[in-house]
Amino acid sequence: MASEHAAMLKESVADFIARGMDIGRVRKLRGTPGEYDRAVWKQMADLGWLGIAVPEAYGGMGLGLAETAIVAEGLGRALAPEPYTACAVLAATILAEGDNEPLKADVLPRIAGGDLIPAVAWQEQAGATDGAHVALAATPFEGGYRLNGTKRYVVGAAGADAYIVAGKADSGLVLGYLDRNAAGVTQALEPLADGRHFGTLALDNALVPRERVIATGDAAAAALSRALDRARAVASAELYGVMSRALEMSVDYMKTRVQFGKPIGSFQALQHRAVNLYIQQQLASATLDDSLRVLDRDPEPRQRAAIASRLKARCSDAGVRIAREAIQIHGAIGFTDEYDAGLYLKRALVLAAWLGTATQHRRRYAALALQSED
Amino acid sequence: MAEIDYNALPDADFRAMVREFVETEYPQDMRFLSRRIRMDEARPWWNKLVKKGWIAPNWPRELGGMALDPGKMVIYLEEMERHGVMRAADQGITQVGPILMKYGTDAQKDYFLERTRTGDIIWAQGYSEPNAGSDLANLQTSAVIEGDEFVINGMKIWTSFAQESTHIYLLVRTDREAKKQKGISFLLIESDLPGITIRPIRNIAGHEEFCQVFFDNVRVPRDRLVGKLNEGWTVAKALLGHERLNIGSPRRPQYALMRLEMLARAKGLMDDAGFVDRFVAIKLDLEDLASLYGRYVEQVKRGEPLGPDVSQLKIWAMEVWQQLTDLLVETGAEDGVIEGAHDVAGVELDFLAPFYYARPGTIYGGSSEVQRNILSKYVLELPS
Ligand SMILES: Cc1cc2nc3c(=O)[nH]c(=O)nc-3n(C[C@H](O)[C@H](O)[C@H](O)COP(=O)(O)OP(=O)(O)OC[C@H]3O[C@@H](n4cnc5c(N)ncnc54)[C@H](O)[C@@H]3O)c2cc1C
Repeated sequence: MASEHAAMLKESVADFIARGMDIGRVRKLRGTPGEYDRAVWKQMADLGWLGIAVPEAYGGMGLGLAETAIVAEGLGRALAPEPYTACAVLAATILAEGDNEPLKADVLPRIAGGDLIPAVAWQEQAGATDGAHVALAATPFEGGYRLNGTKRYVVGAAGADAYIVAGKADSGLVLGYLDRNAAGVTQALEPLADGRHFGTLALDNALVPRERVIATGDAAAAALSRALDRARAVASAELYGVMSRALEMSVDYMKTRVQFGKPIGSFQALQHRAVNLYIQQQLASATLDDSLRVLDRDPEPRQRAAIASRLKARCSDAGVRIAREAIQIHGAIGFTDEYDAGLYLKRALVLAAWLGTATQHRRRYAALALQSED
Repeated sequence: MAEIDYNALPDADFRAMVREFVETEYPQDMRFLSRRIRMDEARPWWNKLVKKGWIAPNWPRELGGMALDPGKMVIYLEEMERHGVMRAADQGITQVGPILMKYGTDAQKDYFLERTRTGDIIWAQGYSEPNAGSDLANLQTSAVIEGDEFVINGMKIWTSFAQESTHIYLLVRTDREAKKQKGISFLLIESDLPGITIRPIRNIAGHEEFCQVFFDNVRVPRDRLVGKLNEGWTVAKALLGHERLNIGSPRRPQYALMRLEMLARAKGLMDDAGFVDRFVAIKLDLEDLASLYGRYVEQVKRGEPLGPDVSQLKIWAMEVWQQLTDLLVETGAEDGVIEGAHDVAGVELDFLAPFYYARPGTIYGGSSEVQRNILSKYVLELPS
């Protein structure tokens, strides 16, 4: 059943991308504060993609990561700027993991329907890996929490309607839901290599009423941590899409570009280079398949984290390496803005940095999997 | 021109003199730039060097140069690099000047050398074409002799800063029948002649750095030919070894290393064994590059020609440089993918500019693959 569904989904993703996701659109949107296309987002919702990570009880499909990964891979191949992983997976998962039933019933169906885009503002420092790094003050008051401080690196912030904000109270982590135009919330944007933006939120006595608290304490920490690991897996799938297309472009170019009277693909120096990249892409593919399978069985948090880290480390490294070497294989044309190879490199850089770099994830893996058993 | 014989000075005195000049005269905010510089930005510094008589360290005295011997030349470059002085569009000084001194006619020398030195003439290098990149000898832009003129037709590409050049030094095909390298000639032409169209191309860093240059029946007098007709290949190749020595200098990677070290200190990474391991490995790669470079510099000082083995310098310098900028971006994590200079732990850093700047180092000036081919064929003498 799962594989049947996967096959259908694959087809619909491929079809959608072939019809409307050309790189010209990506170029037009880059650097604009709009950043992504609300109409495309709505079409993605109509195809059911935005509900994949949303439980059936809340208007979603309640499917596994394997299915979200199919969508993410397709979007990666097309370099779509739509913040699928950040908003439809990370944000939706946090909400679904929370214990605020009325909020879920209100918000999740609208996310699945593409009418509401929430972005997650959990991070304050570059390289943070989980809620333990959260310092933003959440001060309890009668009716909820008051938030003060700054959040950074918010993906999808440019067009978001709401934010999921992580704060720290004496009692532990607090996850709150804020409307974009809530009092005390100011957003600024920082331009990214790939033409999108990180949002920076300044919170000045922003109020999260009790009805908008997603979770607190251990439940909040568990929700955030699970959602982050799942989003890492989906971001890895997106990276896999990016690297696969970048490799195809390079191999195609090697077959057609002639120098010294021969296609450059006939030079062994480049052949071996391409084969090395192919091996990286295949390792990423195999790791992705295996990791998604394990993650969809809902392993205990420690195993889940180790798997997510192993996967993100491989895909970050392989993605950047393949895209970087694509420039080299193309020669000077690869260094131009007009040619697409550079766009692939830039998206790979951003995805590799977001939610933890390869180095950080190898470390995290070491801490999780190599620790002595006492 | 000042009558100082720089070569007669003790090395330490000469070094102190150069250092003092750059430290007092060079604009602070132009140090250690991580991009190629445009002529209008470079002009004030260029003019200062001209006035001082220091713009052309390797040119003879009578042509307004400093006539430095190779040892002093190295000191001069070291001090410029140490201070992070930009390299202006100096192809006129490093390429065209020496070519004209060796192959130019008296009239060409009279007209071009002084104007090149003062910066009234700014040169662009018109070698590459769409189908002649690594395989440069495949170039097709033609120059046909009609009476007293060459008539040029064709297209050049990747011509750096052609849009702000006044002149182009150009390789053209003048004999279609001859073997590839044989029928090529070397011309000097104005960039604004009728029939020339220059279209800038944006690079991945967002800069209009290189250009496409179209030639449609462009006419130049025959006296623009440098060297003999159909022997332009020899003229162009004459300087390649020195170019590789230049590109192989540890300078550019050293700038990137400084940035990485600043970042690491700001983020407290120097206490992190994992990071320090990677950092030191690259730092030593770079120090060892400096030793290798020093060996070639000694060779130049002794007046010996450079062989094909010098290609290894360019390979190693450019590859270490790229690895450094890769590590810089990765170490920045989310900060590493934000465009422009921004504050990170109290330090103002631009991660992406050095990363982009380092990318084409393994492509231009003979790609790393082509340099490896040279080493395997001419140095290791492996069968091809
Ligand atoms: C930033 C920049 C500035 C430049 N400035 C100038 C300039 O001012 N003037 C000018 O004339 N040119 C300039 N160039 C052009 C530069 O010299 C060429 O890009 C270079 O010669 C490579 O040619 P190509 O880009 O056509 O790549 P190609 O020759 O098409 O090479 C594509 C790939 O094939 C590989 N390859 C090619 N042949 C072989 C082989 N035999 N064995 C193994 N691998 C091979 C290459 O290494 C590369 O990876 C510039 C280029 C850049 C990127």
